[in-house]
Amino acid sequence: MSTWRLQRLPAASPLVSLSARLISVVLALVTAGIILAATGKNPLDLGAQVISSTFGSSFGMADLALLFTPLLYTGLAVAVGLRIGVWNIGAEGQFNLGAFAAAGVALFLPGPPALILPLMAVMGMAAGALWILIPTLARAYADVSELITTLLMNFVAALLVTYVATGPWLDPSGMALATTARLPVEVPAVWDIVHWGLPVGLILAVLLAVAFGFTRWGYEVRIGGSNPGNARYAGMPVRRHLITVMLVSGAIAGLGGMMEVAGTVHRLQGGISNNFGYIGIMVAVLARAAPLGVIFTALLMAVILNGGIILQPQGLTTQTVLAVTGLILFYAAIGDEFARYRLIRNAKPAGTR
Amino acid sequence: MQSRLGLKPGTPPLVALRGVAKYFPGVIANEDVNLAIYPGEIHALLGENGAGKSTLMNILTGIYQADAGEIVVDGETMAFASPVEAIAAGIGMVHQHFKLVQAFTVAENVHLGWSQTPARISARDLEARTLKLSQDLGLAVTPGARVSDLSTGEQQRVEILRVLSRDARVLILDEPTAVLTPAEAQELFVALRAFTARGNAVIFISHKLDEVMEIANRVTILRGGRKVATEWTENCSEKGLAQMMVGREIVLNTLRGRPEGAGIGAPVLELRDVSLNAGDLSLLKNINLTLHAGEVLGIAGVAGNGQRELSHLLTGMSTPSEGAVLLEGQDVSRSGARAMAQAGVGHIPEDRLHAGMAPALPITDNAVLREYDRAPLAKGPWYLPRQAFHLAREIAKIAEVAVPDFAMPARNLSGGNQQRLVARREMRIADKVLIAAYPSRGLDVGAINTMMRYFVELRDSGVAVVLISEELEELMNLADRIAVMFHGEIMGILPAEGVDIDEIGLMMGGRRAA
Repeated sequence: MSTWRLQRLPAASPLVSLSARLISVVLALVTAGIILAATGKNPLDLGAQVISSTFGSSFGMADLALLFTPLLYTGLAVAVGLRIGVWNIGAEGQFNLGAFAAAGVALFLPGPPALILPLMAVMGMAAGALWILIPTLARAYADVSELITTLLMNFVAALLVTYVATGPWLDPSGMALATTARLPVEVPAVWDIVHWGLPVGLILAVLLAVAFGFTRWGYEVRIGGSNPGNARYAGMPVRRHLITVMLVSGAIAGLGGMMEVAGTVHRLQGGISNNFGYIGIMVAVLARAAPLGVIFTALLMAVILNGGIILQPQGLTTQTVLAVTGLILFYAAIGDEFARYRLIRNAKPAGTR
Repeated sequence: MQSRLGLKPGTPPLVALRGVAKYFPGVIANEDVNLAIYPGEIHALLGENGAGKSTLMNILTGIYQADAGEIVVDGETMAFASPVEAIAAGIGMVHQHFKLVQAFTVAENVHLGWSQTPARISARDLEARTLKLSQDLGLAVTPGARVSDLSTGEQQRVEILRVLSRDARVLILDEPTAVLTPAEAQELFVALRAFTARGNAVIFISHKLDEVMEIANRVTILRGGRKVATEWTENCSEKGLAQMMVGREIVLNTLRGRPEGAGIGAPVLELRDVSLNAGDLSLLKNINLTLHAGEVLGIAGVAGNGQRELSHLLTGMSTPSEGAVLLEGQDVSRSGARAMAQAGVGHIPEDRLHAGMAPALPITDNAVLREYDRAPLAKGPWYLPRQAFHLAREIAKIAEVAVPDFAMPARNLSGGNQQRLVARREMRIADKVLIAAYPSRGLDVGAINTMMRYFVELRDSGVAVVLISEELEELMNLADRIAVMFHGEIMGILPAEGVDIDEIGLMMGGRRAA
């Protein structure tokens, strides 16, 4: 009789890791399907409906792209932080602030779009960076955990946006109840209603991948993020890199907010961040903080979110969709661990020689 | 025996260890240790790092369980499953690193996790209770003070009060004076004598001979996990203790022989009146040291006497509070670690996993740490992974480390392979100086020999090598001169040729060179 046992490998092979990721997504969907079936719905019908509505029409594809774009930015923002060992839980708030600053510029500064749009982008990034500045300094100089500080800043940001959108910046035409007036400038479209935010985000992902993989700075960030003691030993400016990376992370989320308000929503309103910041954490974790991986995981999350929207008439809530994303993360964590093992067969039964 | 401590004949020991053994994978931490602690005595436990002092005390206090032997308290055999059971039996320990809650007051810390603390009590009553305890036990503390505001000596007093308030009859102190000023140490000694005068006992872990001679009634020396002897301190001399502590068979196999043309050259690296302070604590005092090209300077001493700080100063990782570091006559006190490495100072740090490597990153990243910023790996701001891979392969090859996959995390390599990789990485850039801190720690004999061969190779090519080690054998075989450190000072620098090992032992215990 032969026995099987698990053998732990020193490192998971990339192919196995990737398949573990794919299997975890499938398992999450199957689990969600079983639960849906238990509540009396036919999961296969629902799945087919999601697929045909999303990929079957240009409308569906455009909607998908509009969900994909903000997730790309927030996912990149979180991934950048992870590179130096920082959990930026505050992409949500930085996204809101970016949208806020960009809307402010558009609403109150007259000028040609060619001038105003770049200014909006710059201000959006600056606002995102500003929103992570205090957590950054607290972490860099007092070793205060950024997990808490960045998270708390989110609530302030959300309330600020809701306040200005319903108060001082409320649409003066009286047509809208809780938003600003339509912004006079917008990010131009590349295809259908899909705007330039998408290609810019893709380019950004590529640039970040190059910066982390092929520059001396990227190498130093890698060392500093993995073992600060090692970086200090080598004389690398760990604190400076930490500050730069965190500010860049905030700026990327802020740019995402600018693109969202100026490209997709066209008005500043409460809830414009739509949990993109939080889902960005999942996007980054699933991509293992690799900028190019974020492109794929953000797309996956966009498909799931979009599926939720499509299925809303069927009585599915956004909570269900968030539960599915949670399941994916859960299975991915298990898969990561299992990818380090392989089954081997003992030639002889245990206990004999 | 008992009468010499002023006890009635036949008084049983407070606590006794009989034939205690503890094994860790591949290591004998303790074996066949017998120890009896009588009421009224201060019993010193002396030994080098790794002699098994801490393991033995961890067994006595229930942190570890002995693999063999027994613990007898008041004539009764006990098995402690946890420190809580040990303290219930009257055995308490104050660790070298205090286990106080910094944000709590003294009173709160004393009462934390104590069954006798009332479930509901006002801060004022808690402080009153603490004050009473402090007066009863003769340990002056400020009950309302926050621990984070206290000096190290005061914090230690709180720790001791915490243990004694739980009716400890045997108090174990792990190198209590290491963190104290001389005046604070004297205060501690007074409190300890008062405690033992009430019929209690103290076990005092130390490797400082003068202290042991001053405070202890008896001393037990451990070496290699086994007991060497238990002696009355009045019958001992510092020299005798030093001999018993370090006295192993030294295999002299000198590596000082040099090929034709290789010799000691001009000064390269110099420390001039260097001191290093952290707050009020003086870490290094008035260090003067000159390193010559082609020389191996050994640094001896019990770990924790300033060696780490010295290695950081020599490699630019820290800046001196006073004095200057000169590299070939240039003041490099404030250059920083990167500049020193670029100037040709290599550094094998004492802590591979925390300083020397990024264990979670690929072997390639770890191998190129010193050269990622220069050609051919770097081109302007760019980093060329392909070149990095080539360099990593080259370093692994000369380090004789078989690497199946350079993308594999460095932590998957064995300790010896990691150390060889770090050593070779540093040797590549060490054109002038190599600082090696405990390079053979945790390595087997074969790996140690390889390491020593590396240093000889460097030395013969004209590099100055600083070898910080606890292994006297290593130092005596390889070093040209041996400096001995104690309490952040250099006790003296001796030529290694024909050095008297007892003299080094004495200097490690705080005697200056004659």
